[in-house]
Amino acid sequence: MTIRILLVDDHPIVRQGLKTLLEGHSGWEVIGEAADGAEAVEKAKDLSPDVMVLDVTMPRMNGLEACRLLRQECPGLEILFVTQHDSPQMMREALEAGARGYVVKSNAARDLLAAVDAVSQHRVFTALNGRNVAELR
Amino acid sequence: MKLRILLADDHEIVRRGLRALLEKHEGWEVCGEASDGREAVEKALQLNPDVVIVDIGMPNLNGLDTTRQLLQHDPHFKVIVLTITDSDQVIREALDAGARGFVLKSDAARDLVSAVEALQNKRMFFTPRVNDLVLAGFLEKGQTFSRNEAPKLPTLTAREREITQLLAEGNSSKEVASLLNLSTKTVETHRSNIMRKLSFHSIRDLVVYAIKNNLIQIEMPPLPPKTPTGPTAA
Repeated sequence: MTIRILLVDDHPIVRQGLKTLLEGHSGWEVIGEAADGAEAVEKAKDLSPDVMVLDVTMPRMNGLEACRLLRQECPGLEILFVTQHDSPQMMREALEAGARGYVVKSNAARDLLAAVDAVSQHRVFTALNGRNVAELR
Repeated sequence: MKLRILLADDHEIVRRGLRALLEKHEGWEVCGEASDGREAVEKALQLNPDVVIVDIGMPNLNGLDTTRQLLQHDPHFKVIVLTITDSDQVIREALDAGARGFVLKSDAARDLVSAVEALQNKRMFFTPRVNDLVLAGFLEKGQTFSRNEAPKLPTLTAREREITQLLAEGNSSKEVASLLNLSTKTVETHRSNIMRKLSFHSIRDLVVYAIKNNLIQIEMPPLPPKTPTGPTAA
């Protein structure tokens, strides 16, 4: 079954990079893109993706706020943060907001595929730079 | 003959995005990638690209010092600086360093192709804000772009700036020595000179200096959501 992914980041270049990486994986499809949290919430409601790859720091509505809203609006959606913030505190906030995964942007090329694979199967995946990579069932 | 481009950014995801964007353009090829400034200088000397695109906020050697080093090696290098901010100070430093293009990362999908085309045609490319500042500086016939320029601190040498960046990134003198192929004693001497020149007494002062002078860049966490504040009872 195809995994349908929505990409959310305010930098088009980053979205393009993520897209080329994800679309190299057979059976995964990037069905849409959004540039901020508010647009992400709207598009998630319209497109019903399986997984959302979500940045933290964005204009209008940041990723944490969007994640909290989406937990209520789209309970079946799995959210994976891909962010600059290499911080255990931020990771905890993200998981508390309802995300299933957390990957640091500088390591996205290494960790993203494993992370999407894990969260699409409703497993937790977290990885901070230079520290543990935890995949929990 | 194809236009050969070298990409330098510490995020592989960004390099992938830039590569996808640039390689859509017929006649251009990305001939190499680098993940920090030091690697960018090495690869530029090795590959001799037509255009080098450097991110400002790279570890080990930032994009501005990378630009300076490239142009010291060969003034014919054409460098486009990618940045997350177009503050007066960053613009001034990029121009001083010799960049011929200046593109905001957030606008790269729109502006980068135009910037490379400009350099290909022996022109320069700057954001409208840079153009405004350059024009203002020209009209004032002054050397500065801003009337509110901060007082200048003593100038560090290129080597001292490199060491300042590495120390501010949290490296010990021993680690800096290893990265730069210097002895620890030499690094300690540079470190003492830097602290003396800048009248600093702690590494904290050095970190603040490195941030203020764009040797390193930090990303701030998002602000908490605004909570509505109603009138308070007297």
